[in-house]
Amino acid sequence: MHPSAPPVLPPVTVEAAPAIAVRDLRRSYGDFEAVRGISVEVRPGEVLALLGVNGAGKTSALEVLEGLADAGSGTVRVLGMDPVTERARVRPHLGVLLQSSGLPGDLTVAETLRTWAGTLTAPRPVEEALTQVGLTGRADVRVRSLSGGERRRLDLALALLGRPGVVVLDEPTTGLDPESRRQVWALVQGLVADGAAVLLTTHHLEEAEELADRVAIMRGGQIVLSGTQAEIAETQPATIRFGLDEDAPRPPVPAGVQVVTDGRRVEWHTRALQPVLAGLLAWAAEHGVVLRTLLARAGSLEQAFLAVADGTDPRETPEENE
Amino acid sequence: MTATTPDRTTLDRPTSGPSRLSRVWSLASAETRMLGRNRTALVNSVVLPLLFVAAVPALGMDEGELPFGARLLVTAVGISLVMLTYYNLVTTYVARREDLVLQRMRTGELTDVEVLAGTAAPTVFVTLGQVVIIAAGVVLLGEWSAPADVVLPLVALLAGTLLMVVLAAASTSFTRTPESAQITTLPIIVVSTGLSGVFYPLSVLPEALGQIARFLPLTPVVELLQLGLAGQTWQGDPVDGSVWPHAGMPLAVLAGWLVVGSIAARRGFRWAPRR
Repeated sequence: MHPSAPPVLPPVTVEAAPAIAVRDLRRSYGDFEAVRGISVEVRPGEVLALLGVNGAGKTSALEVLEGLADAGSGTVRVLGMDPVTERARVRPHLGVLLQSSGLPGDLTVAETLRTWAGTLTAPRPVEEALTQVGLTGRADVRVRSLSGGERRRLDLALALLGRPGVVVLDEPTTGLDPESRRQVWALVQGLVADGAAVLLTTHHLEEAEELADRVAIMRGGQIVLSGTQAEIAETQPATIRFGLDEDAPRPPVPAGVQVVTDGRRVEWHTRALQPVLAGLLAWAAEHGVVLRTLLARAGSLEQAFLAVADGTDPRETPEENE
Repeated sequence: MTATTPDRTTLDRPTSGPSRLSRVWSLASAETRMLGRNRTALVNSVVLPLLFVAAVPALGMDEGELPFGARLLVTAVGISLVMLTYYNLVTTYVARREDLVLQRMRTGELTDVEVLAGTAAPTVFVTLGQVVIIAAGVVLLGEWSAPADVVLPLVALLAGTLLMVVLAAASTSFTRTPESAQITTLPIIVVSTGLSGVFYPLSVLPEALGQIARFLPLTPVVELLQLGLAGQTWQGDPVDGSVWPHAGMPLAVLAGWLVVGSIAARRGFRWAPRR
């Protein structure tokens, strides 16, 4: 309620109030601080993907949002309410998919959904939920007999059964086959189109690229990088890669280019892709040199993620988070 | 510190929905259906306690002064509460916790207490059903005699059942797996039941030990049943007139255990396996 540390976020513009607002959240297990001061916001109709290797603190942070654990310090608000102390008021609006969760094996798929629906304020019809996750043909199968992917989709159907406006998905597609994964993505996109705020964690960069409006990359309990995908990609240098014939002359290295590998296979990193590439091509034309398997690529989200995972500072020019 | 106030109109939608009771009932009926589909659990919870109760008179363990009908009912309630309600619920809660089902339930709209109540429901139904069956059996055998007081046995049964649920929830904090419940439930099953007066009257114990036994969790339940059904004190003395003046101590002990058990359950209950 009274954070002594200065606020990390700039004042919020009130055009669309955040559905999820996390401010300087910290959480510890004994001496180990799993979440070390993170701040994020998710607005209605927006998907924020929280990326990070295992142990980065993603699940520990989500548990506070889900109302399952107290914040050590900092504030967490879902629709303006405290998800722990105002749990009863938050829950009808909150859909939660845990990273790993269990469902009783002795009930059928339809019974599981009906039971869950019976506990909710405004559930969607069970038939609709079955269709949503493609389990219509499996309605009368015991949960015990479902495949891992089917169980995950049933779990997702439960999370969405109460028509939540705020959805927290902890690794929603882990263990799913590619087709089911695309199905889940379409489902999430549908939710967002209807105005839901979605916070998801994932290991799959492809998933973040497909779904996320904004991305936050965590390491060691902190958000190291955050922004739109383009903004994050821009923190990374572009790559130019090419091969040279044995007798070919060496191109001069332009200013501001970092030489990653040299010799017959050359890799350059640069923050000025276009002029450097233009210079390289002009030099090659002038000297009649063939640049074999020439590749030029702007910085990418994947590159940023790997840089964070490796523990190298992904930002060559220091800048504030957010 | 309030940075923003979100649009509260989005919160207007679900104000009603089903009643709390109907929400818990949804979980309770699913749990009951699951019990019906689990043969082993069904035999354990329905057949075994009945056999056990039937064996008590046959084993000649009923040396007390109580009339046979009352004796059988007191035994039935005592055995059902411990072997069925308490033991079953420790294993059920732990199994649900280790299977991550409790954590899943906890992400929904049910409150923590509602999740625990819904999960306990089938066991409680079976417990109460057992007692009804035994009572009917007593009537059929022609051993039924009018109780000295109707309220006390009902209080003993219901408060005793609640106490077993609470103690089961508390016991999960030191029970890692459903299997280890066989060991962690021993203090209640062996010590508390053994010294409760279910198997033999407390009057056969040395006076000091008997007085100590009265403070164990199951003993007040047995005392209240004896008082209400047969009009006998814990020492086997018949009561003239109202039995209520003799009920103060066991009622207080029962209430005390409910408070202690609730606090222990609230503090110690874990919803997810240890990582």
